Amino acid sequence: MKSLKQFLAEDGMRLAIILIFMLGMSVATPYFMQMKNMMNILQNISLQGITAIGMTMVIITGGIDISVGGVMAFSVWVSASLMKGGLNWGLACLVALGIAAVCGAINAFSVGVMRIPPMIASLAMMNMTRGLQTVISRGTTLTGLPDGFLVIGQGMVFDIIPLPAIFIVLLYILAALFMSKTIMGRNIYAVGGNPEAARVAGIKNTRVLFFAYIACAVFATIAGLIFISRTNSAPSTVGTNLEMKAIMAAVIGGTSVTFGGKGKIMGTFLGVIIVGLITNALDLLGVSAYYQQFIQGILVLLVVFLEAIRSNRAARQH
Amino acid sequence: MSPKTIVRMHDIVMSFSGNMVLNHVDFELHEGEVHSLTGANGAGKSTLIKILNGIHHPVSGEIEINGQPVQIKNPKDAEKHGLAFVHQELNVCLDMTVAENMYIGNWAVNSLGLYDKKATSENARKLLAMMEVDLDSDAPVRNLRTAEKQIIEILKTLTTDAKVIVLDEPTSSLNEKEKENFFRIIERVKAKGVSIIFISHFLEDVIQLSDRVTVLKDGVNNGLFTAGNYTKDDLVTAMMGRKIEARAERCVAAPSDALTALELKNLTRKNKFTDISFSIQAGDIVGVCGLLGAGKTEIARAIFGLDAFDSGSIELFGKEVTKPKPDIMIKNKVTLLTEERKLEGFIPLLSIRENTTLSIIKTMCTRLGMIDRGKQEAFADKISKEMTVKMSSIDQQVVSLSGGNQQKVVLAKCLATEPRVFLLDEPTRGVDVYAKSEIYKILAEAASKGTSVLIFSSELEELLENCSRIIILKKGQIYATVNTCETNKNELLSLIG
Repeated sequence: MKSLKQFLAEDGMRLAIILIFMLGMSVATPYFMQMKNMMNILQNISLQGITAIGMTMVIITGGIDISVGGVMAFSVWVSASLMKGGLNWGLACLVALGIAAVCGAINAFSVGVMRIPPMIASLAMMNMTRGLQTVISRGTTLTGLPDGFLVIGQGMVFDIIPLPAIFIVLLYILAALFMSKTIMGRNIYAVGGNPEAARVAGIKNTRVLFFAYIACAVFATIAGLIFISRTNSAPSTVGTNLEMKAIMAAVIGGTSVTFGGKGKIMGTFLGVIIVGLITNALDLLGVSAYYQQFIQGILVLLVVFLEAIRSNRAARQH
Repeated sequence: MSPKTIVRMHDIVMSFSGNMVLNHVDFELHEGEVHSLTGANGAGKSTLIKILNGIHHPVSGEIEINGQPVQIKNPKDAEKHGLAFVHQELNVCLDMTVAENMYIGNWAVNSLGLYDKKATSENARKLLAMMEVDLDSDAPVRNLRTAEKQIIEILKTLTTDAKVIVLDEPTSSLNEKEKENFFRIIERVKAKGVSIIFISHFLEDVIQLSDRVTVLKDGVNNGLFTAGNYTKDDLVTAMMGRKIEARAERCVAAPSDALTALELKNLTRKNKFTDISFSIQAGDIVGVCGLLGAGKTEIARAIFGLDAFDSGSIELFGKEVTKPKPDIMIKNKVTLLTEERKLEGFIPLLSIRENTTLSIIKTMCTRLGMIDRGKQEAFADKISKEMTVKMSSIDQQVVSLSGGNQQKVVLAKCLATEPRVFLLDEPTRGVDVYAKSEIYKILAEAASKGTSVLIFSSELEELLENCSRIIILKKGQIYATVNTCETNKNELLSLIG
């Protein structure tokens, strides 16, 4: 893992934003700095937060996956229906992950073997899965999921820490370790950084892409399962805009969409937290939810402009 | 009356990341002449032209146009001074017509200020007729052949009243008939009073077209010839090196009675190389040379499995490898150092530590499948020192190293796989003279330990210094094989050209 100094140099801006924000908010309202609110934030960000882990991997390979919302909605809905139909909830979850894996594999095949641009490939998948999910849901909402399953989203540790909060932190730490310490993790950076050089060095690019796109779909589905468990409901509109939120978090976290090979899982975590904090602040301050999308958009532009200025300045020195 | 100088580049110095690419280079274009700029890959031709185009800014030197000193800060400035560039990669809009491409940026407008398709088409028709080019001005460009697209690019420059046209490798994708047509058009352009700079490594074309030729070698002027006063051999000598009188002192002998490590039998790929057959023994260093387009890179890539081939076979230590692929070849202890390190050699944002271990990372894992950072660092450190890589730390990003050091990192990555057959394509291109000798030492050492080294290169001195035998390629076929101990540079130069 990197040294503290390096971490500060690269993510200092994000840390600063978070700290300044938290300071400002704790002054603005007493409700902010409470444990309950903090845990609230972690819970609210867990859907796009966990999805963003897999999304970061795909973006680092130089691709993108805008089908995560549809894939998640479809696999989660099938799973919930099976649970309600009497299937053991554990098996039902495995079915959801299986569906996600297949969808991810199809995306990887399109991108890695057929050489279709990732945007187009995942757009097609998005429509396919969202379409199927609309058919099976018929606009209804599923509720009344088995008690055992509800523990995942509603369980508490030591009575104050919700399980989803633990899941998201755990998954981020594991993912960060994976990306920095395993061969597949490093190969993701290699393929994204220079796919031709990776191929010349003997790396099997297609295999890496399969891993990344499958992981992306699976992470989104894990996030979805935790989400419906927490709310005990699977609305037909579940996962709307999920891909955009996940991409935003990754981009704010420093993952580059323009050239591959650049990005960090922990950076995305900071991005997710920043978005979560701002959403929470707007809620506490009573700002209408409709403005939130607008403000998130401005935030992305701001962060990306700052990164562009920094990298343009560096490039001119070469 | 002495000819008027229309463009004068004087004392141009250019360097990239500490590497000097142009070393006090001069270039002068007289009005109304066709002046060719030629030299080997990496000699500095493109860089010089990019400076004229305003894409790069020289470290020092002056540019004068029509006798007036000018500052060309960007391509728009170049355009304002009457310079037009036709690049090697064609810049046509495929879904527009011939007329629209010719007049792009300059389409005719009617009295209402709207695009006048008829007038644009008519203007194009007139110009096409004047140049005696057989193209329909309303034809969509997508359906045209490359040669025709190229003609459109040239005519485009005529519509901007350019006084100087720079053509960058314009004939590389033309067949003989298309080339004749191309030459005719150049004559007509010249007749209109336009001065032309012609960049090419195809010496027959250079000789046919040019009034004068400037040759660059390794970033310095190495010859200025006038039509009628030189031969093709003179050009080849100027491009590849000064004629030396004495035979090379050193010569490397082939090892006696060693195993045949690699054997190619009639390797063929349509339009790229035909019936390539040769073998190399363990511990031997063999060179493959030829001018650009002779097929060196294509053969190297085919052996390593990066590109497919149509027929023939590749045998490693007696066993045939039917469908070579990079990861399979690496497993078979064959490795390739590719021609373009920036495009294919290293992962720019990753560190020296990661790039040097890129191919062998599987051997650096703990039982749990995690990378053993300590082991990786120790290995990277050791091999970087052996390669004498100049770096600030093992964790430095390779993109920030100088070209020569980047090449050493790529070399380290290749050697890390402990190859028994080591293929290298232009291994010392863009590498300074000290790094070059260090790389040769490393190759000699690898050979002494039993590795077969196959060097594909256009640098004759390099091959004479390191190889026991040199295979000469011409237009995709083996033209001759010479024993280094029995030849010299002059003979090689005459065989290549």
